[in-house]
Amino acid sequence: MTRADEIARSRRSSAPAEADAEGGAGFLEPPRRFLSRARRFGPLRFFFGGGEAAESLPPQTASAKLPDALTRTLRGVELPAMPHVTEDGFPKAKVPRGGRAGRWFTFRSLRRGSVSGEPAWLLPFVLGAVLLLSVLPLARLAGAGLSGLVGGEAARLIFEPATFAALRNTLVTATGGMVVSLLLGSLFAFAVALTDIRGKLTLSFAFMLPMMIPPQVTALAWVEMSGPASPLLKTLGLAPPLGSPQPLYSLSGIALLLGVQHAPLVFLALKAGLAASPRDGIEAARLAGAGPLRVFRDIVLPLGLPGLIAGGAIAFVSGIGNFGIPAILGIPAGIETLPTLIFSRLASFGAATFGEIALISTLIAAISAGGLLVQQRALSGRDYRLIGHTGARAAFALGRLRIAVEALLWAVLALVLVAPLLALVASSLVPAYGVPLNLKTMSLSAYGEILFRQSITLTALKNSLFLASAAALGLLAVTVPAAYLLTRRSGALANLIAILIEIPYALPGIVLAVAFILTFAAPLPLIGLSLYGTIWIILAAYFSSFLAVSLKPVMSAFLQMDPSLEEAARLAGAGFSRRMRDVLLPLIAPAAGASVILVFLIAANELTVSALLWSAGTQTLGVAIFNLDDSGSSDLASALSVLVVVLVIALMAALEFFAKYLPEGVLPWRH
Amino acid sequence: MKTLLSAVAAAAVAGLMSTAAYAESLVLYTSQPNEDAQATVDAFKAANPGVEVEWVREGTTKIMAKLMAEIEAGNPVADVLLIADTVTMQRLKEGGHLLPYKSPEAAGYDAALYDADGAYYSTKMITTGIVYNTSAEMKPEGWQDLAKPEAKGLVTMPSPLTSGAALIHAETLATIPGLGWDYYKALAENGATAAGGNGGVLKAVATGEKAYGMLVDFMAIREKAKGAPVEFVFPAEGVSAVTEPVGILKTAKNVDAAKKFVDFLISEEGQKVAVKMGYIPARNGVALPEGYPARETIKVLPVDAAAAVKNSETDLKTFSGIFGTN
Repeated sequence: MTRADEIARSRRSSAPAEADAEGGAGFLEPPRRFLSRARRFGPLRFFFGGGEAAESLPPQTASAKLPDALTRTLRGVELPAMPHVTEDGFPKAKVPRGGRAGRWFTFRSLRRGSVSGEPAWLLPFVLGAVLLLSVLPLARLAGAGLSGLVGGEAARLIFEPATFAALRNTLVTATGGMVVSLLLGSLFAFAVALTDIRGKLTLSFAFMLPMMIPPQVTALAWVEMSGPASPLLKTLGLAPPLGSPQPLYSLSGIALLLGVQHAPLVFLALKAGLAASPRDGIEAARLAGAGPLRVFRDIVLPLGLPGLIAGGAIAFVSGIGNFGIPAILGIPAGIETLPTLIFSRLASFGAATFGEIALISTLIAAISAGGLLVQQRALSGRDYRLIGHTGARAAFALGRLRIAVEALLWAVLALVLVAPLLALVASSLVPAYGVPLNLKTMSLSAYGEILFRQSITLTALKNSLFLASAAALGLLAVTVPAAYLLTRRSGALANLIAILIEIPYALPGIVLAVAFILTFAAPLPLIGLSLYGTIWIILAAYFSSFLAVSLKPVMSAFLQMDPSLEEAARLAGAGFSRRMRDVLLPLIAPAAGASVILVFLIAANELTVSALLWSAGTQTLGVAIFNLDDSGSSDLASALSVLVVVLVIALMAALEFFAKYLPEGVLPWRH
Repeated sequence: MKTLLSAVAAAAVAGLMSTAAYAESLVLYTSQPNEDAQATVDAFKAANPGVEVEWVREGTTKIMAKLMAEIEAGNPVADVLLIADTVTMQRLKEGGHLLPYKSPEAAGYDAALYDADGAYYSTKMITTGIVYNTSAEMKPEGWQDLAKPEAKGLVTMPSPLTSGAALIHAETLATIPGLGWDYYKALAENGATAAGGNGGVLKAVATGEKAYGMLVDFMAIREKAKGAPVEFVFPAEGVSAVTEPVGILKTAKNVDAAKKFVDFLISEEGQKVAVKMGYIPARNGVALPEGYPARETIKVLPVDAAAAVKNSETDLKTFSGIFGTN
């Protein structure tokens, strides 16, 4: 039986979660605090659960370690069984053991730090990459922000009414968005995790879509759906009268869409916690006569709460950093949020611009950090020792209500996903604004213009494909060595590296983009060339931004690997590169594939970073859509958006197709 | 970075690499809408085979900011600018950013339509008038109609912070007796909004979110021809006009191609391309496109270019102050 089969089998079975009293905080613990991600793709970290072994909190590391249930909440992973030890008392390393790989070595030899068999270049290489991609730009940003504060320029900027207004709008929309996300996300999470509704996989997959579709596309689709000229409403004869304002061009419109965009984050965070709820505990309560409400209040809710707070915090932070939605909905109404303020400051470039945007992004970073801290506090104070099976049987049989719940869920999906996308398709088929869609007016001319006439689309498509492939494949060159290093080492240095990889991912994209502008606006030393205005600055920012995305699947694969395989190869005299080639790489290949597709998916749809960094000939798809809409060609913008949505769904379907080869917890919609 | 780039190089070799080779291609920064920019570039390429063109579109104010940021970073990418107004061009000329070029095609133009040193050439005439949705109650005839109670909350206009034409428009109306900044204040009090570029105004009026808008002529007239429910009026008081000049940057890497581009735009052939798109041509003896009144019936209001160059910053601040946009 092959290893893959073994893992697959252990994944399917459900066995008692073990209490693992072994100490030694795994190296992943501190980064776990930073695992929360603060931007549109925040949720993606849930892709990378990397199975953690089910273990409860070792007493001596209580402060340093999250209890397992929460770890799972954090990572959104269904855990496989873990037959705890072999006959000879050695812990088995056959199953995912998040953060425990280092322990294996600790067990064998009490050495810490460097592990024999690691080539000398590995640590400097990984450290160098991390310094370049994370420390350098962020230090540059912090420096610019601080010098701005000292220069007195900040005081002037901070007290400008425009900054105050943008700050207020940002907080209001992010908070409103968080509430909407919590409502939508928890509705779906409770239904999918705890009831016996049908079609869970399809529901989860569809509910994940809003997160994968670029926010500016979501915004465009909703704008097309509502308002007096909606082709959809006009066709149905439901359009509001002339002069009705577009209801979405408002703070509440922005908040609503942020909520829809980030609801999957709450869904994922919560579902993971709920999936871990003890079935037999619930059954015992039911047998003892507790009604469903009582069970919900006393068992389900306390277990779900950390996930709920964590998901809410991530949704809030993602809302703070979102650019696409406030750009499309806020700019026409004169509503600025901090990210769009950065954009418009840069767009009305003046002498003090660099200092100003550095300050505003420092402000965004500070608010995000606050949100992330809330999430940490929420999660770290809870420790449930779960005993018993966490089987896949539904805790609540809905009976006759089932049809009603299913209908409700699908109706919500129809409203937040299907209708806007239909409106988008409709508006890409009408020849001019305000023309109702019917067989006579329908035309594919927008698609013709986009595909065959507009050079910007081809340029953008080429750039996005290049950037996405280069980032996805190029990052593997960093993340495979880094993942190897981090799984084979423990100690302060490894922790630090893991944290530094996590930070650019946790900060909003707009902050990162500003950091890269500041770092690369001046000509590079030695070469004398400036990266600003070239495609390389976007690629560099993508490398930094998606490093953590690329790392996590690879990392989970390394963690799930039995170290004795490599050990045997090493004893047989195989050098590092030989071991990599013949033992390690074949085993992590599926995860590396998932990592490539995931980074590709995100990078191909990225707008926030490239909106600030693009230039002639380096437009990305996100920029092209935004720019087409801005120039009044919304039929073209819609047509291009439709093509992008098709691309997203195709990539997600590809991931789904590979699901059976992937490590535990890589795909969020499967459990 | 080097290690990373070498990692990327593998992907690049795989044939994914196709970033613009700036050495051979002309880079154009323009404020024309995407479709027009593309059509202009396509017509130019048809007339000059072998010249590749990369182009970027943004509102004039934004495209200038982009250019200035690039100049600041020591890496200006553009070779040629085709932007809304001569005031901006004049400012660039005074900053020493433009390359003087005497085009042989200039003979077909009034001297007022190009710079005496050949730093820039007007390519069309774009007036700003009033667009309204066909289902609107009132049919506006003059600027003052937009400040009437019937239009309360139903008026929108492009922001000078994005659009060059909008800045000139505001500067023009501000100097007209009976209008002035007071007129803009009255509009703001009447609930008029100012945000984004002309594209957004067209969208808002055609879709019926707003009933009336200040808009550049060609957009409204062209969209009406496509079937959109809009009408365009040249207001009784007169219209402001910009002339969409083209100019070559001093830092241009492809000077020859840039000169060809200027020649083409102001040649008879290039002017006919503009007419086909629905623009009023700048060149003498080229007929106006369909849907326009006769050239002599359009009353163009004068703008004091020298004052405009000097006061742009102040005027922007005044405008932002009135409409509370930043």
